[in-house]
Amino acid sequence: MTTTFPFEAESTEDELKTVGTAAVRIDGLDKISGAAEFVDDMDFGPGLLHAAIVESPHAYAKILSIDTSEAEKAKGVVRVVTGDDFPYKFGMYMEDRYIFAQDHVRFVGEQVAGIIARSHREAVQAAKLIKVEYEVLKPLLDPKKAFADDAELVHPDLGDYTHVPWFFPQANTNIAHWRKIRKGDTEKAFAEADYVLEDTYTVPRYAHCAIEPHVTVSKLDQSDRLTVWTASQSPHTQRHLFAEALAPLGFTHKDVRVITPYVGGGFGGKAGVSMEIMGAAMATLVKGRPVKLRWTREQEFYNTYQRQGVIAELKVGVMNDGTITAVEHRLYWDAGAYVEYGANVVNAAGLSATGPYRVPNITNDSLCMYTNLPPGGPYRGFGYSEFHFGLESHMDRIAEAIGMDPVDFRRKNAIVEGDELAYGAHMNPSGLIEAIDKVADAIDWGTDEESDNPDTVMGKGMALFWKAPAMPPNASSASFLKFNEDGSLNITVSGMELGQGYLTVMAQIASEVLTVPVEKIRVETPDTDRNPYEWQTVASHVTWSSGLAVEKAAIEARGKIFDVIHQVYGYEDDSLYLEDEKVKCKTDPDFEKLLSDFVIDGIQTEEGTWRGGPIIATGKFMPEFTNANSDPETGQGGHPNVHYTVGATGVVLEIDKDSGRIWVRKAALAVDAGRAINPDLVTGQIVGGLVQGLATVLYEDMRFDEGGKMMNPTFTDYKIPTAFDIPDEIIPIIVEVPQPDGPFGARGVGEHTMIAAAPVIANAVYDALGVRIKSMPITQEKIAMSYLEKRSG
Amino acid sequence: MIANEFEYRRPTTLAEATQVLAQHSGSVKVLAGGTDLVAWLRDDAIAPDLVIDIKAIPDLRDIKIDGDVLHIGSLVTFTELIESDVVKEHVPLLAEMAETVASPGIRNRATMAGNICSAVPSCDAGPVLLAYDTAVHLTGPSGNRSVDINDWFTGLRQTAGTDDEVVTHLTIKLRQHGGVYVKLMRYAGEDLAQAAVGIVAYPDNEYRVAFGAVAPTPIRSAVIEETLRGKPLDDDLVAAVVAMVPDEISPITDMRSTAEYRTHMTGVMLKRGLWAARQRLDGTGPAYGARLI
Amino acid sequence: MDLEINVNGEQWVLNVAPADVLLDVLREQVGTKSPKIGCERGDCGSCTILMDGRSVRSCLVLAVEAEGHDIVTVEGISYEGMSQLQDLFISTNAFQCGFCAPGIVLAATELLENNPDPTRHDVQDALAGNLCRCTGYEPIIEAVLAAAPARQEGDSQ
Ligand code: FES
Ligand code: FES
Repeated sequence: MTTTFPFEAESTEDELKTVGTAAVRIDGLDKISGAAEFVDDMDFGPGLLHAAIVESPHAYAKILSIDTSEAEKAKGVVRVVTGDDFPYKFGMYMEDRYIFAQDHVRFVGEQVAGIIARSHREAVQAAKLIKVEYEVLKPLLDPKKAFADDAELVHPDLGDYTHVPWFFPQANTNIAHWRKIRKGDTEKAFAEADYVLEDTYTVPRYAHCAIEPHVTVSKLDQSDRLTVWTASQSPHTQRHLFAEALAPLGFTHKDVRVITPYVGGGFGGKAGVSMEIMGAAMATLVKGRPVKLRWTREQEFYNTYQRQGVIAELKVGVMNDGTITAVEHRLYWDAGAYVEYGANVVNAAGLSATGPYRVPNITNDSLCMYTNLPPGGPYRGFGYSEFHFGLESHMDRIAEAIGMDPVDFRRKNAIVEGDELAYGAHMNPSGLIEAIDKVADAIDWGTDEESDNPDTVMGKGMALFWKAPAMPPNASSASFLKFNEDGSLNITVSGMELGQGYLTVMAQIASEVLTVPVEKIRVETPDTDRNPYEWQTVASHVTWSSGLAVEKAAIEARGKIFDVIHQVYGYEDDSLYLEDEKVKCKTDPDFEKLLSDFVIDGIQTEEGTWRGGPIIATGKFMPEFTNANSDPETGQGGHPNVHYTVGATGVVLEIDKDSGRIWVRKAALAVDAGRAINPDLVTGQIVGGLVQGLATVLYEDMRFDEGGKMMNPTFTDYKIPTAFDIPDEIIPIIVEVPQPDGPFGARGVGEHTMIAAAPVIANAVYDALGVRIKSMPITQEKIAMSYLEKRSG
Repeated sequence: MIANEFEYRRPTTLAEATQVLAQHSGSVKVLAGGTDLVAWLRDDAIAPDLVIDIKAIPDLRDIKIDGDVLHIGSLVTFTELIESDVVKEHVPLLAEMAETVASPGIRNRATMAGNICSAVPSCDAGPVLLAYDTAVHLTGPSGNRSVDINDWFTGLRQTAGTDDEVVTHLTIKLRQHGGVYVKLMRYAGEDLAQAAVGIVAYPDNEYRVAFGAVAPTPIRSAVIEETLRGKPLDDDLVAAVVAMVPDEISPITDMRSTAEYRTHMTGVMLKRGLWAARQRLDGTGPAYGARLI
Repeated sequence: MDLEINVNGEQWVLNVAPADVLLDVLREQVGTKSPKIGCERGDCGSCTILMDGRSVRSCLVLAVEAEGHDIVTVEGISYEGMSQLQDLFISTNAFQCGFCAPGIVLAATELLENNPDPTRHDVQDALAGNLCRCTGYEPIIEAVLAAAPARQEGDSQ
């Protein structure tokens, strides 16, 4: 059985004009000419003040005293801020964070105080003068230790915290959330399985590394309106959280305005609210003056969200014919000091930790563990990249153990439309099998390649991926659309252009319905005062969700256009259609009316009066078939995910046996986009995501010392790919099995393309050298030393 | 943004520079390309009260040959080394090394002399200049002097140059040779060396072997050079000197690598490097710039 | 200190402190916002400018060091319309968020001025100091190769 969708987009196989074409990005000229304005580029005049933050040097400590007297006297200082100024909590899914630390600090880098000064230099200098006395406590840095019965508590008051109803924190423990799935009878299935493999995989923390650091400028004006210009993926969610957290100061939502221009990369790191709330709060103390808070690259690493680390204990049972019968996946997440957003990563992973396979018996435990490391949070892939590493490594190992080709094994178990999911709902249409076959083909699966260099060997690997948007069941999108005198369009939405091409895609969708060319459509980045609501630009959902809102607005506008024509000329609405910016009529081939002739001024009737007027329209979308109310003990009963996007990745690599250095000679990635509204942009996600994913497995790695301090908070030592560090060849493959409720059949692909990168490398390294590496990253050093050991032992 | 303020001087003659240095009592830093210095200032790793910019001093930018002596001014950048015809013809090893330094935006500013003045253990110029027995020429209040590169690196980020001296140029005595610089990095892109090997091979089986990033300073290995001396290179000889590596270096485990991997790879690089240097001397080796690992 | 520099063909006389880095002075005093602040320690290349025709990281240059030098930013090369290279970047959708774009446009411009017929390796080397987190570089490299003067001449023949 398949899910029935209440809203079937009108998209069909009819010939499409704009959708499906590689339209040129509508933000291209802005960005290449240097004109594109990011928050840090905006001018705020000579009154602009600058903020600097005093950070905790300890991972866990009690604050005994804060002496701000010297700093207050320092040159240029306007105001010093501490936790006493804002004793308020905030959080996205769970209120466990403070704007500035209150009595405790829980990670190295946590904000303890702030300086507002006339210049950035003065702010930074004054910050050095603040003296904080701490009583240092023993930090918890390991999620399994945090799970132990006798572990110190990172949040002793956890039992009192407010949270969304689908979280299950355990009071008086460090378990901030425990997502359980119980389906079938795993114990029995393991007992009956022909082969069972059990092992542990570990994944460290990772940083998003958008090249634009977080930055925010906030101003409380004399009329008590708070405006925050911010580099954010989530303008409305930010406004909501600012308004809620600062409500004790008398703010309501209408008094808070968030404006987001272009954003220099997000990857999840600019979702929700992190450092922005400090800027917003500080500005309330210096009425009339804009305050800029810009993170340094170092702060970007240690005091924004980080991708959580995980220890994954995995057990899988199969029959000799290759049928998977049971999966038990226990994930200990190192969620950090505050989990207000990160706990939902844990939740999402728990729901889907079987991977894209048909599994009748499932036991998933996804444990959100508080630790004294920086707050975990959303990162492209949202928990899926992390558990896919172990899962897809495991699948190769099982296939080998039962003597099956790993691709055949995957094909046999791959989930297809209608299969039951871990929580009882059913799988949406998907092209997983097609993706597997196309990738296998692209990398010549089954043929061994030989290196002609005696120092190197070749290896091949394959891995699958899936992911569903992780959002509240009622996350929604909206759009406004208006015509201009010349028939051009302005569309306002509140999804964010993070680089993925969202604005262009929205323009293409509207263009398809209204036949107005993309070049004549302006789609604006958000201002929460003016643009309609969008939950957030995360979860790879905006093409789908915001796309539906834009499509609906365009359809509404078209209806209004036809109404005017009907009123004036009497043609029935259903005989009318749009072509080349004109209204035409099926029953009267001679009739045509240019949109620009009437979309503002209306049409004059024979008696000289006018009909119509400005064509404006709205659209909104909220999924109405989802619900997050499942049984806490089994996870059964709800329908938490809207749909999954699936795909496959394969690589051919060459490894230097001595140095362990890897050259990815070829990489193929197939993703089921449902419908590629702009194939160029989908390809952009494939290539960009794959390279980002490869980096997490090959060299990226956040390192912390014994005190919980990050040791490599710079690009000097946290290596992200350069132009040299990309595969020699990337073969992007777009599969299109339409999503029935998607705009023109589209579903999101933004995160998915990095998810299988880690296991595909692990599998190819094994294929090349016979060395199985179970902890990320799989650095050249790790490969070389493991292989050395294998050779000598 | 650099938080600490300082004074800035830009002398136009060497005499003026040394005078300013001699007269200044506080902490002072000499600024050439600035790619290390400005980063350190910004990181608050150093807080001098005076910065002396030597870029307005003439005559420090030459790359020239005087008889059999190559002269490289202290303001010569890595890009200038890469683009120099003199370097290409006589010391392509310097270009091979320079190409591994960071990326063009850095190489366009960073100087080779500055690299050995910063004297971090992973400085790329270190092993190569050691293998060339380079002389470092300085000027100071008490006049000019030169320091053998083998005496130059005195400790972690420390050199034989004193605070009131300015490096004016480097000289290398030229004779027929083949050379190689092998640099281990965490990935193909811009990176500091995890370990590095610089080798110069002269006729009659004479070798100079130096290492980077495997000790507090770049180092030479007299033992390995001695073992190689006068013997034709063969697999056994190479294996014998590779086996000496663990005793010759003192790598640490840090962010960038473990000591074990550094040791292992220093051996691998020595092995591949010796053969490449030898072949280049014979005119048969891989082109300069080709990566051996 | 007084500082006289030429930015995009215009002469500026500014007052700066010795500790002011050129990147900040360009952004705050000259108003050229295309060089971006990405790391402030020479690691990312988003602050790239051309100084006397060569790419440098303006976060590693003290403003006072730029005295008497010619500085070009992307604004400067965009006054008279887009270059061949910029046009190709646009038409091939080579960039995503665009934060790295000003630096990469300049690094690639420097390359093509010095090397009309670069190899893929040359392009990679020229861009190796400019981090881009979005694109995976491939579309950028392809556009630079396509914009190479040698290739362009070849196309028009
Ligand atoms: S800001 Fe200058 S290199 Fe990153
Ligand atoms: S396009 Fe986003 S960093 Fe390059």
